[in-house]
Amino acid sequence: MSVLTLLVRRGGNGLALLLAVLVLNFTLIHNAPGDVADTIAGDMGGADAEVMAQIRRDYGLDRPFHEQLLAYVGKLARGDLGYSFFFNQPVTELLLERLPATLLLVLSAQVLAIMLGTVLGVIAARHPNGLLSHGVTIFALLGFSAPVFWTGIMLIILFCSIFPVFPVAGMIDVTVEGGWFVKTLDVLYHLFLPMVTLASIFLALYSRLARASMLDVLGTDYVRTAQAKGLSEFQVVYKHALRNALGPVVTLAGLQFSGIVSGAVLVETVFSWPGLGTLAFQSITARDAPMVLGILFFSSLVVIVANLVTDLVYSLIDPRIRIGHRG
Amino acid sequence: MRPIRKTFRYAAIAMLAVAASSVSAEEPTRGGTLIWSMGGTPRHLNPAVQSGIWTGQPGAQLFATPLRFDENWNPHPYLAREWDISDDGLTVTLKLVEGATFHDGHPITSSDVAFSIMTVKANHPFKTMMAPVESVETPDDLTAVIKLSKPHPALLLAMSSQLLSIIPEHIYGDGQDPKSHPRNSEDVVGSGPFKFVEFKRDQHIILERNENFFIEGRPYVDRIIMRIIKDPSSRTIAVEKGETLLATFEANPRELARMKENDQLVVTDQGYAAIGPLVWLAFNHQREPTSDPAVRRAIAYAVDRNFIINALLLGAPTEARTGFHPGSIFYEPDVEPYDLDIDKANQLLDEAGYERGADGMRFPLTVDFGSAFTRPHAEYLKPQLKKIGIDMTVRASPDFPSWAKRVSNHEFDLTWDVVFNWGDPVIGVHRTYLSTNIKKGVIWSNTQGYANPKVDEMLDLGGRELDAEKRRAIYSDVQKLLADELPVYWVHTLPYHTVYSKRIGNPPKTIWGTSSPLDEIYVRPE
Amino acid sequence: MATDSAAVLDGDRLEVAKARHPLAEAAGMFFRNHTAVAGLVTLAIIVVGSLVGPYVYTVDPYEMVWAPFSEPGADGFVFGTDYLGRDLFAGVVNGGRVTLAVGLSAALLSVFIGVSIGALSGYYRGWVEEALMRITEFFQVLPTLLFSMVLVALFGASLAMVTFAIGIVSWTAVARVTRSEFLRLREMEYVTSSRSSGARDLGLMLIVILPNALPPIVVQAALMVGSAILFEAGLSFLGLSDPNVVSWGQIIGSNRPYILDAGWTVALPGFFIFVTVLAISLVGDGLNDALNPKLRER
Repeated sequence: MSVLTLLVRRGGNGLALLLAVLVLNFTLIHNAPGDVADTIAGDMGGADAEVMAQIRRDYGLDRPFHEQLLAYVGKLARGDLGYSFFFNQPVTELLLERLPATLLLVLSAQVLAIMLGTVLGVIAARHPNGLLSHGVTIFALLGFSAPVFWTGIMLIILFCSIFPVFPVAGMIDVTVEGGWFVKTLDVLYHLFLPMVTLASIFLALYSRLARASMLDVLGTDYVRTAQAKGLSEFQVVYKHALRNALGPVVTLAGLQFSGIVSGAVLVETVFSWPGLGTLAFQSITARDAPMVLGILFFSSLVVIVANLVTDLVYSLIDPRIRIGHRG
Repeated sequence: MRPIRKTFRYAAIAMLAVAASSVSAEEPTRGGTLIWSMGGTPRHLNPAVQSGIWTGQPGAQLFATPLRFDENWNPHPYLAREWDISDDGLTVTLKLVEGATFHDGHPITSSDVAFSIMTVKANHPFKTMMAPVESVETPDDLTAVIKLSKPHPALLLAMSSQLLSIIPEHIYGDGQDPKSHPRNSEDVVGSGPFKFVEFKRDQHIILERNENFFIEGRPYVDRIIMRIIKDPSSRTIAVEKGETLLATFEANPRELARMKENDQLVVTDQGYAAIGPLVWLAFNHQREPTSDPAVRRAIAYAVDRNFIINALLLGAPTEARTGFHPGSIFYEPDVEPYDLDIDKANQLLDEAGYERGADGMRFPLTVDFGSAFTRPHAEYLKPQLKKIGIDMTVRASPDFPSWAKRVSNHEFDLTWDVVFNWGDPVIGVHRTYLSTNIKKGVIWSNTQGYANPKVDEMLDLGGRELDAEKRRAIYSDVQKLLADELPVYWVHTLPYHTVYSKRIGNPPKTIWGTSSPLDEIYVRPE
Repeated sequence: MATDSAAVLDGDRLEVAKARHPLAEAAGMFFRNHTAVAGLVTLAIIVVGSLVGPYVYTVDPYEMVWAPFSEPGADGFVFGTDYLGRDLFAGVVNGGRVTLAVGLSAALLSVFIGVSIGALSGYYRGWVEEALMRITEFFQVLPTLLFSMVLVALFGASLAMVTFAIGIVSWTAVARVTRSEFLRLREMEYVTSSRSSGARDLGLMLIVILPNALPPIVVQAALMVGSAILFEAGLSFLGLSDPNVVSWGQIIGSNRPYILDAGWTVALPGFFIFVTVLAISLVGDGLNDALNPKLRER
């Protein structure tokens, strides 16, 4: 199968899935108790019946369900994600406004987890039955087993309350004056705790993967040959074993990336990180249907694209594996 | 309180009075930045079409209103240098200050005032505020004449703080729906002491000093940065560290207790009398057995207000015995308080014929709660009402709309509720008890389904009485009658507090607190 | 790994057992794995404690017994009291049952859905497989936590709804594992021979293939219990929990506003969740090593 036909087929399939996701969620939100008019009235300390009826009219909430659905899908087909009822802003604009924060958090956490996880995995694989190996296994499992919000809270208590070295919330300190360098440092300073918290979940996965790949390779003949040829341990380990581990790591990273918004909801909530996760939570509780659908649409799109990219990257790393033939 | 039926001509004298009352011995510091933390994000910044505390605070800095109020409920000139109420109460004439301009340089005229009043009448969620307004005439650029269909004493409060923002007609009169106008959150133009710089949702609002503010020499600070921090603990830490100098609408008792211990901070509940937030336990009058006054009274006697205020909420709130905020000039404390009396509660239920079953329970009831603040209140009822044989189930609503749907459709037994007075009783008090306001699907209407023609009649009288003393007497009677019938059991105020650094001078003290223009606040240098 | 004499002895005994039953072999492998055994023992303590605890420590977790926020150890309350003055230890003792029950039932639900869909799509070819795979993809594409938040917000935060919302979004991994096992096994000789001797499809799937496909499914299921517990805690943290039922997550959810001043009210129940999930993960790992010697560490 050529890459092009694959892309077309997967693309079509993806579109159908997206549509199904949207229709299901549109139906669910439509049937949820209360609507955005209630939220707006609540936000305003109450509203007259007439005002609420007007809000519903303005947003087309008084029209029959199928009309609303068709109107939404029709707009979507023209690339319009609609207008957020609650925030009074185009959905696309809000999504793009929040995306960088989430991307920064998720990507940095992934990179940290991959790097630290690989190091731990390699250490563990050098002495597979040693105390250190068990120690590494358990350490990696710690983050994976703790509720991520709990890890975040514990870090806040430790580093913001007992030893106040890190900021508690947010992404930037608006009062910080200075050029881009100072501002970047400020963001990194705010990023540290949420990044570590989010990375803690993935650490176990990557360290296991690295350990397993290392064990696989260390047992193979060509490594033994390489060792016999007098190549240093460093060369053997890092040239052969790590390359071997790269494929699974890419797959896993792709898989993790799929959960981008879901995974970030809790960490973003704990640290008041202004990303898509907090926006999603807010929109669900506000019954802001276009916003919720926009976020669901976006995160489903990310999954579909991430899967595709993973496959492509995978086939580049390991040409033996033909795209579209994985389980 | 002077009667307001007579004609008033406040001019420079009143202006001086405001200045005199608020200027301390020390000369205010000019310049500096006021960093202020807020716990919520506004939908947008135009109070003419959006009510609520998160819009109201920045809104009052951006938009001037005709009047402003001091800490004793007295009106003062603001954008209107004088006002006049005709003897029949049907005409209110406003004279605007001369030379006032919007932030973009356009002069403010009576036509903007007329436009703003009509926009508020058509779009603001509180219909009762401007409902009696029939028309606004503009005989000249600085005179606006408001024609009313009936005497409307609430109008004065409804022309202050965030309730009647004067918005520029040349911007909002372009034919777009003012509720979703793009200029509600971008490049906002008003005439208040501060100008719009930036609004980043969930992050911050930045305002800067309006050099052309129509009150000479004000405001004192150069910039206001409102940092939006949703987590209460994070706000506490920020103000403790001095990263923020002002925190408003703080209601978390633990955080308040912690901040009170800090000698660099001042914690006060002054400034929330007009908003008048109350916490009460509402009964469904259209259902058995809560339709029975004996049951309502028994529950009221069994709920320990003292425990809720002092143990659960660490003394943060103030007791509220009626539907008027204790800070209101109409509050009547001399009513049956329903202090804790389990024996009396049991006796009431016994007499009303609610026998205890084999398990010791008389009947089951559910309790809802609409705000996370009242979750402890709801959980508290479970063990507490067991003592009088009521088997409580707490119904959690995952979010506000779910709760609002249940309660506004009268599908509940008991619910904890947080309701605001919003200045005048006509705006925020009447709505809970008027039988004409039993409106399905509308939250904070008379969702209890309480109906008493006598109460309806008295509230109607109170709403049109221009004489302050007579008005107060009417509301006093209403409160006594309501306390007996107990449509809801009022428990305490929502303990909103303002927390500020000792570096702050002229802290907001008026009835509208930080929801009024902060043109006098200043920040002392470190 | 077996270096001490006891383990060697164990191993020797197992050499004998091995000839008798493959399960015994797996059990042997499992019990030689120290971390797995530690996990199992911890888990057993937690399970027994949660089942028996409420009968031993009979304080009502809803009763307001003392002043709010009494610190752990002070005033005779081991874990202190929460914001209502309820005994936190009573909450933790009673909450375990519910937490474990939610974890277990959500995992069972997702295993049931996953195995059914995986088995059918692996066994049948053609349109059945195609349709079921589309359904699986659909659920894979849904953002799990967001979707369950939508579900709970829609149907209310009852325990059953929370369990359902967790189960319905977490079955796809089981489905994939089951399907690939079925794809592999359906071509095995003993399967084809049973089929040619006239066995029904359902019988073949349940009696012939499923038992052989079980090992990886069991491992998945074990890990699923852990992630379901974490999931429930996460939903509770966001305020989506049933206040009428004490669970560890619910305790965290209701005490969340007080983390900086009364950190223990969140730290302690969170710690129990952490230990439980850790124990489950260790047991799951042990099972994985024991049941899938070939897939070891993969």
